[in-house]
Amino acid sequence: MRIVIGQGSCGIAAGAEKVRKALLNTDINADSISITGCIGMCYLEPIVDIYDDNGDLTRLVKVSENDASAIAEYIHTGDKEKISALMVSDEDKEFLSKQTRIALRNCGIINPEKIEAYIEKGGYTALKSCLTEKTPEDVIEIIKTSGLAGRGGAGFPTWFKWNAARQSAGDDKYLICNADEGDPGAFMDRAVIESDPHNLIEGMLIGAYAIGAKHAVVYVRAEYPLAIRRLTNAIAQAKEQGIIGENIFGTDFSCDFMIKAGAGAFVCGEETALIESLEGHRGMPRLKPPFPAQSGFWRKPSNINNVETFANVAWIINNGGEAFAAMGTEGSKGTKVFAVTGKVKRSGLVEIPMGKTLRDVIFDIGGGMKTDKPFKAVQMGGPSGGCIPADLIDTVIDYKALGATGAIMGSGGMVVMDESTCMVGMAKFFLDFTAKESCGKCIHCRIGTKRMLEMLERITKGEGKEGDIELLVELCYSIKDGALCGLGQTAPNPVLTTIKYFRDEYEAHINDKKCPAGECSDLIEYSIDADKCRGCTLCARNCPVNAITGSVKQPHVINTDKCIKCGKCYSVCKFGAVIKA
Amino acid sequence: MINLTINGKAIQAPEGSTILEAARANGIYIPTLCYDKAVEIYGACGLCVVEAEGIPKLLRSCSAKCTEGMVVNTESERVVRSRKVAMELLMSAHDGDCVAPCQLNCPARTDCQGYVGLIANGEYDSALKLIKNKISLPASIGRVCPHPCEKACRRKNVEEPINIAQLKAFAADMDLNSESYVPECKPATGKKVAIIGGGPAGLTAAFYLTIMGHEVTVYDMMEKMGGMLRYGIPQYRLPKEVLDKEIAIIEKTGVKMVNNVKLGVDFTIESLKAENDAVIVAVGAWKSSSMRTPGEELEGVYGGIDFLRAVIKGNAPDIGQRVVICGGGNTAMDACRTAVRLGAKEVYVVYRRTRNEMPADKLEIDEAEEEGVIYKFLTNPLSFNGEGGKVKSITLQIMELGEPDASGRRRPVPVEGKTEEIAVDSVILAIGQKLVTDDVKELELNDRGNIIADPDFFTTNIEGVFAIGDATNRGASIAIEAIGEADRCVKAVDAYLNGEPLDTRIPYISKRDEATIDYSDRQKEARKNPRVLPADVRNKNFEEVSLGFTEEEAKAEASRCLECGCREYYKCKLLNVAQRYDIDPSRFKGEMPQKYTRDENAFIERNTAKCILCGLCVRSCREVMDIHAIGLMGRGFKTDVSPAFSLPLDQTNCNNCGLCVSLCPTGALTEKSTLRKQVPLNESYTEEFIDIDGQRASVMVSRYNGIVLRVIPNDEISRNCGLSREELIAKVQ
Repeated sequence: MRIVIGQGSCGIAAGAEKVRKALLNTDINADSISITGCIGMCYLEPIVDIYDDNGDLTRLVKVSENDASAIAEYIHTGDKEKISALMVSDEDKEFLSKQTRIALRNCGIINPEKIEAYIEKGGYTALKSCLTEKTPEDVIEIIKTSGLAGRGGAGFPTWFKWNAARQSAGDDKYLICNADEGDPGAFMDRAVIESDPHNLIEGMLIGAYAIGAKHAVVYVRAEYPLAIRRLTNAIAQAKEQGIIGENIFGTDFSCDFMIKAGAGAFVCGEETALIESLEGHRGMPRLKPPFPAQSGFWRKPSNINNVETFANVAWIINNGGEAFAAMGTEGSKGTKVFAVTGKVKRSGLVEIPMGKTLRDVIFDIGGGMKTDKPFKAVQMGGPSGGCIPADLIDTVIDYKALGATGAIMGSGGMVVMDESTCMVGMAKFFLDFTAKESCGKCIHCRIGTKRMLEMLERITKGEGKEGDIELLVELCYSIKDGALCGLGQTAPNPVLTTIKYFRDEYEAHINDKKCPAGECSDLIEYSIDADKCRGCTLCARNCPVNAITGSVKQPHVINTDKCIKCGKCYSVCKFGAVIKA
Repeated sequence: MINLTINGKAIQAPEGSTILEAARANGIYIPTLCYDKAVEIYGACGLCVVEAEGIPKLLRSCSAKCTEGMVVNTESERVVRSRKVAMELLMSAHDGDCVAPCQLNCPARTDCQGYVGLIANGEYDSALKLIKNKISLPASIGRVCPHPCEKACRRKNVEEPINIAQLKAFAADMDLNSESYVPECKPATGKKVAIIGGGPAGLTAAFYLTIMGHEVTVYDMMEKMGGMLRYGIPQYRLPKEVLDKEIAIIEKTGVKMVNNVKLGVDFTIESLKAENDAVIVAVGAWKSSSMRTPGEELEGVYGGIDFLRAVIKGNAPDIGQRVVICGGGNTAMDACRTAVRLGAKEVYVVYRRTRNEMPADKLEIDEAEEEGVIYKFLTNPLSFNGEGGKVKSITLQIMELGEPDASGRRRPVPVEGKTEEIAVDSVILAIGQKLVTDDVKELELNDRGNIIADPDFFTTNIEGVFAIGDATNRGASIAIEAIGEADRCVKAVDAYLNGEPLDTRIPYISKRDEATIDYSDRQKEARKNPRVLPADVRNKNFEEVSLGFTEEEAKAEASRCLECGCREYYKCKLLNVAQRYDIDPSRFKGEMPQKYTRDENAFIERNTAKCILCGLCVRSCREVMDIHAIGLMGRGFKTDVSPAFSLPLDQTNCNNCGLCVSLCPTGALTEKSTLRKQVPLNESYTEEFIDIDGQRASVMVSRYNGIVLRVIPNDEISRNCGLSREELIAKVQ
């Protein structure tokens, strides 16, 4: 019997550590209690997996520390009645069973703090076979066959970058992993590092061997302390085993490993800004050319890939490029991890083969909408991406097909929205993020995004004027054309796609001074329907500014001058008497 | 060598050169604001973008290398659009005034801040020369101008505006009282210009056209030149001796002056045209306007300017003891104060609104009252009543203020049935003046009875004939308006004479939003006015009322200037690029990223509100000097250049090498000049060599009218020499 508690950041945030301590306080044998990383079903955390001696799994979800004694009783008696309320439903099981996991293959299964667990799953065999049986060119060829493309967002063929770095003159080269996962709503990289750090290390070492790098660097955001801790631990273990350092596996390949914690700038996900930051400078993009493959970290040839990209590498070496390429579409091979969040019923990490549709992810796996409001749109690729409206839900997951909608694959963030989301407000939210995260270097990004944001703020306040949409569009294209790096060039995407698909919402804000979704507080007004109001006083008691008056059992009235439009009355009224218009 | 094409021109560039380098080597302009050879390529401004065939993205030419067979377009529609938006965005976040509001509000665009600043430094000659770039009669105009400049002066937001007009008169008087400045004329062009009318407009045009090398003759119907300055403004405000001296200087430049000749009698426009290459009509408005009030024809009712002219010519009419002046403008003030001086015992000014609405200069209103003038506000003449053909009384309608009219002033409306009658000996109607249309029969007039002149080119319906001043378009206005028109007309006539096109577009300049300026750090200091003769002395004679500024007073008053206009105006690269593109930054009007905060050391002054974040200062300090005294702070729109650890500049290890200042493309970093009061001046820099410890070191030296304004290190030796600016300046002098 093994009891495994999901202890990714998500699980810990939901209370997994309290559950673990509570279980340790029971009479369950402490040695049988261990941890694993992120299982991917964030909406069901904390999760406790119980493997019986046959290896069969009983999964308990939304466990609290108060459930510890019931679990202990089950362990002792085998009486499933004790834990029936905690057992994962068959429906929820589909969330994982319908996925195809390569990058996440060990996540939520193995103990991320023990190298033995990784090795037991066949870990480091790919590296060994590369170092002992394959030339770097062979490795690059396998990756080429696999069709693996950069999972960080740009989707550039991985083999091509590796080859360019390999071809670059000089034998002092760097292999860098970009773990500065900054998109709001994306957390697959964190999950990989927290849950399967050795998979990343192995992928990176294979990459280092392929390009001829003696130094591997992981640039990870400081906001991921658990990831940093587990990765640091994993590196130490790998060093101990001779997997990192001099003459790895007895070959003449040597590679050291370093972690650099980023200081919290979104732009440092841009590869040249990342390099500047690595060197100790302010994180600002460099002009390309020269590309990092020619002149990167310390002006040496450098190759930068994203965490998820590296997480696929060992599997590809073990299973062959063809196996990876067998999944997906003509232009997009393998699987992709999506971080599904928002108004969707089941949120978490979803890894599926390319070629599936958005409907598969949001409805089939994600279970559709959380509320009774219909699906409206999904924001793909975070602040650099765009929204895809409901009528394009059958769009295939493929770099090209997603690009054609105006959105991007991006790093795989998927924010699902229902009809209660204002699309102008949504664009404003993401633009606010990019405007603040602009490094300030180029004019278009620094000032352009700010001016766009100001226009959106005006529009959502009901101060929009005719011509604003056209001016926004003009500015969007100017910024795309003129900005120095990807941050600026993609910043207009949320605005462009929402104008493309939801222009009527912009027009309603500008012309009618109305927010159709009822989200922009400056454009809505709350009132009480006297016929429906029973005078229960609940709204008046909840109003934080005492804007509601009325006697018991008499219809209440909202003083609109005092009202701060917090919506509290609207949400507490049991009779639907509060009108939002 | 690499062969490529730029803008259709086949060129060769050395291997490894960038498109920017190749273009510059071949005289092809590409704008840049963040590029300099001294530092590494940065790519921030994005203005250097170009389009290359077969490449979908715009290329930053500062970094993109030339490749064989490349076809580059540096001015394609897409490129120009991108640069335009970049400049619009940049200027929307550039919180600075290129030019001071006083200068912008002067119809002649006189460089008020420039001469005020020079006066503050005691540089009176330079101040006068600067004034004479725009105003040929500064001693006269300084005395009579209603000074729109002062209305715009920002010092009013602290306490009161700078006394700009009187400072001008001061500098001009200094000049008249010594060896007067007579500008040099350019070589003769052989072109002849006739000007009809020797008033401020005609004399201004004559002065500047003559300096340009044209042969100019001014024809005037009166005995002496000066127009309304002479015949419309009383002696106590503008002594005619001052005007005479100024006209003499104009004459010294070579202007021919012919008096006592009248258009339509002694010559015609056609006859002048036949003898000249161009004719400028500047005849003014010499007829008093009528009020269309019954009794205007009575004996003892005079037109304002007719009355003033008669007094000036020594033919003062007998106005008696009780005089009523109708009107609230400066001519009314001139008339009432003249009436007082002629000995009238009761002088009334009848004005239909209140004191606050009076268009006359406030000082004039106050001084007239001191001299005994009685104001009758909210009254309007209903009739002038006579006896035996002579005016005996005036019936006034009592008024009250109603709703604001189009001008924003409250409209006076009659109070039904309320009137007042005053017994009078004479009445002076000072309510306006008009062109005598019979004089200009050949020219097309508008429905106001004024000559139609093109607002930009000043052309009339007759080719080669131009018209300016009170006689044109909207009619009579103040002298400085006519001078401003004359100044612009001179350019139009010169272009016409040379057969060249004239660009009349108004170039873009950056202006601060008045509402956002904070004056709380300014110390209050009262405005100084020149001393005046006591009221009970001056109201009995025609001596000049104002005694003018003493040198000490002038310097102190000039020192109050807030220095609104940018010191780097004349060499601002940012403005230069902005003016090349037809930009409208107001499209993107929004928050300003930085507030101006004073930060300076002995030589360098920083103004982050003007910073465009090109990074040249930060990079040169780091890459060239290895000093790291300044760096970038913050993120996004609020990104800022700041001294290390946000300390004031003088607490960093800045060694004042001046490299950052010389690379700054705008006014964010300025090197203070040797002048005590800083002034924006059109300096000229020359490279000079000085001896530093036996080594030959290069410095850039700025001189203005012979004054050394700045010495800026220009090579490694001078930048690292550790000498103070005073020591460097001593070496060049």
